[in-house]
Amino acid sequence: MRSGIAERLAEIVGERHVLSRPSELLVYNSDGLPGYRRQPRLAVFPGTREETIAVVRLLADEGLPFVPRGAGTGLSGGALADDIVVIGLHRLKKILSLDVANRRATVEPGVVNLRLNKHVAPHGLLYAPDPSSEAACTIGGNVAENAGGPHCLKYGVTLNHVLAMTVVLPSGEVVELGSKVGERDGYDLRGAFIGSEGCFGLALDITVKLMTKPQAVRTLLADFTSVDQAAHVTSAIIASGIVPAALEFMDGPTIRVVEDSIYAAGYPRDAEAILLIELDGLEAGVSADLEAVRRICLDGGARNVKVARDDAERMKLWQGRKKAFGAMGRLAPHLIVQDAVIPRTRLPDILATIRAIGEKYGVVVCNVFHAGDGNLHPNIAYSADDPAESERVHKAMTEIMQACIDAGGSITGEHGVGLDKMGYMESIFSESSLNAMCELRAVFDPERRSNPGKVVPVHACKEWHAVPGGRLRMDT
Amino acid sequence: MARRARRPIADGHVSTAAVVSAIKESGSTRSPLRIAGRSTWLDAGRPVRANKTLSLRDDSGVVIYVPGDLTLTVRAGTSLSEIERVTREHDQWLPLDPYGSNDGTIGATIATASAGPLASSFGLPRDLLLGLEFVNGRGEVVRGGGKVVKNVAGFDLSRLLTGSWGTLGVITEVTVRLYARPQADRSFVIRLAANEKESNAFLRPFLAASFSPYALELLSASAAFALGLGERAVCLMRFGGNTAAVDAQLNAVSRIAGVEEVETSVWEALRTLEMGSGCVIRVTGLPGEFRSVSASMLMEQPSGILNYIDPARGVLRLVVQAPNEHEESKESVFGISTDMPPDERVVYETLPADVWSEVSPSVVADPLSRGIRKAYDPHDILNPGILGD
Repeated sequence: MRSGIAERLAEIVGERHVLSRPSELLVYNSDGLPGYRRQPRLAVFPGTREETIAVVRLLADEGLPFVPRGAGTGLSGGALADDIVVIGLHRLKKILSLDVANRRATVEPGVVNLRLNKHVAPHGLLYAPDPSSEAACTIGGNVAENAGGPHCLKYGVTLNHVLAMTVVLPSGEVVELGSKVGERDGYDLRGAFIGSEGCFGLALDITVKLMTKPQAVRTLLADFTSVDQAAHVTSAIIASGIVPAALEFMDGPTIRVVEDSIYAAGYPRDAEAILLIELDGLEAGVSADLEAVRRICLDGGARNVKVARDDAERMKLWQGRKKAFGAMGRLAPHLIVQDAVIPRTRLPDILATIRAIGEKYGVVVCNVFHAGDGNLHPNIAYSADDPAESERVHKAMTEIMQACIDAGGSITGEHGVGLDKMGYMESIFSESSLNAMCELRAVFDPERRSNPGKVVPVHACKEWHAVPGGRLRMDT
Repeated sequence: MARRARRPIADGHVSTAAVVSAIKESGSTRSPLRIAGRSTWLDAGRPVRANKTLSLRDDSGVVIYVPGDLTLTVRAGTSLSEIERVTREHDQWLPLDPYGSNDGTIGATIATASAGPLASSFGLPRDLLLGLEFVNGRGEVVRGGGKVVKNVAGFDLSRLLTGSWGTLGVITEVTVRLYARPQADRSFVIRLAANEKESNAFLRPFLAASFSPYALELLSASAAFALGLGERAVCLMRFGGNTAAVDAQLNAVSRIAGVEEVETSVWEALRTLEMGSGCVIRVTGLPGEFRSVSASMLMEQPSGILNYIDPARGVLRLVVQAPNEHEESKESVFGISTDMPPDERVVYETLPADVWSEVSPSVVADPLSRGIRKAYDPHDILNPGILGD
């Protein structure tokens, strides 16, 4: 590395906010998907907006690539830095303003979802996107991934809740995207930036829309003796026109793992599937929907439909769902999670296909997912240290993904492409579509220094075939 | 049965291949194209430097519609009324009601990011769009987004094309999210007091109350009169959902003010009120700003000027009717448009062509927008000039 880059970064942020020893950097060599490991060269943690801009400008002057990172809870290997600089943004955690009357807040990128929600709750407001990692993940990371969550069924994903951003481009230039105070004409650059997985630059502040807390919330737990029944009930609820705030699905293996863990939520251990359904809105309307949903569940073969009596019971039911991936850690050291989305009417047959694929390869596929959106999360706990098992797991996952693509689905609904799903991009996008993505990226980041090697396979980018790869590494 | 519906059944005369060849030909001769849907209402007087028109009007029809998925893929030239007809058969709808008539196409609605009264509860076109196919300025077919309700695969080209007015590519196919039609869908008016003070005293707390209407517009006396709703400014509301929720809201509103039920067709009448007018200006802002100034903007207006305010979305529409027929109102268009602050929040939707160039600044002058334009339309043949560029 050119001498002194760590020292020069330390001049900006202070010595203790730059890590360069491999042992210190270990914690940054994976994200929420522990199957991938990449060792960063350096990690720098700016504490203010000005420091962040200065860091990006220094790296721009030196032509050095970098990876922006929030809380590292992502599930696509998107925040991994292969021998380059990590810019960690978790110290930028100020809630800059809260406008209760206009229901919006401006936050720094390192603000954790749950903290924003705790901050606005006393005013009867909430920020809708609720990834299962909401207790740890950051709004900046949410913007990068266009994060979703259970309640996105009714309220939409991050894209639908961000009004404006101040962004530092990889060149060090600072631009405003969207509008804090109205609607802006012209190209939707804010829309283009959201979900760009750190490849377009870093958000310095983010203005989000807040919602008024619904007057009434009801959470139901319906349990079934067959996966197929629960899948058909999901389709029936969606087709009825009722839009639940959330409609979550957990299969038998997942239920039992959760019930064996510290997150036990009181789910019936002998069920083959449960649906966790939340309805919200005006009291009168919710009561009517509750009755309708209960009827659909019972008609569809539910053994029991239990309605949470109070907030404590609601929270407990949700806890089991939100911590399900964490509970999987009990089964094996590694977890592979997919994020495909399928047309909602295909749920019963795709779940049957997933089961058959699992049996074919002798692996246990757990399913815990956003059924109302058709956003599947088939996951397999395994040991990456066992090559034979790893191979079976990866073959099963590839076949599952292909089945979802064949059904007309998408390879990722909320986790992002990152490193993990890059290999599937060419099966859903044509060469010219991938090239159009490369061209868009090239406008934001002509030298492709921001999160290089993610999202779109480089060979798909016409203009970039000739770019020397060596530049991406920091040579000593 | 569902499988059968997946087969493309579009029956238009134009195809993506035809759009590709038209664009390639224009590129090789450097002769720019004006991109049009059905040319009904989105033209808006914007200056376009083009000698040929590429019309998508015949490229219409449903490509994929499986009602249980609550998604719809159609060719871009499909009219909103056709989408309404097809989805109504399954008791579903696309809650996208841009100002103008339902004869306009979905492609044009997305390309111009046009929205209407339902936007405050169902979102803007960007929120209802799931994916699209377009042909860029080099004649390459590109897809962005997908056909399912949630999707983050790749960079978001569908949001990028929304509101790009055809300058980044010609949209040929669109996939949108549908909703089931509500059990109840009813509309009501509250007549506002004739004086500003009284009117404001009612509006401020009323608008802050926790109703959740599908749509709520404050109409100036002139607009109310044009719709046959009397001679005073009104608050026009639409409540939808299950019967219990609609009844509960109606009861709550009735306790505060006298309400009168009107036909839901009043919304279509409102949307088409501005057709043929020479000037439509949209002023956007914080919802609170409109809550506090609304009454004064609704009261006295010179004849031929209509105002509607959506306080939840923070949008005021100012319509000057038929300026070309009266020199006087043409003067007023020019007066109003030059009086507007040079602010990103003022969006000109329609202006007389000769006024346009004087007041409407380019909204794509920043380096990022220019870079994207250059990448997607390197020969500058797609609607050049339409964004003031």
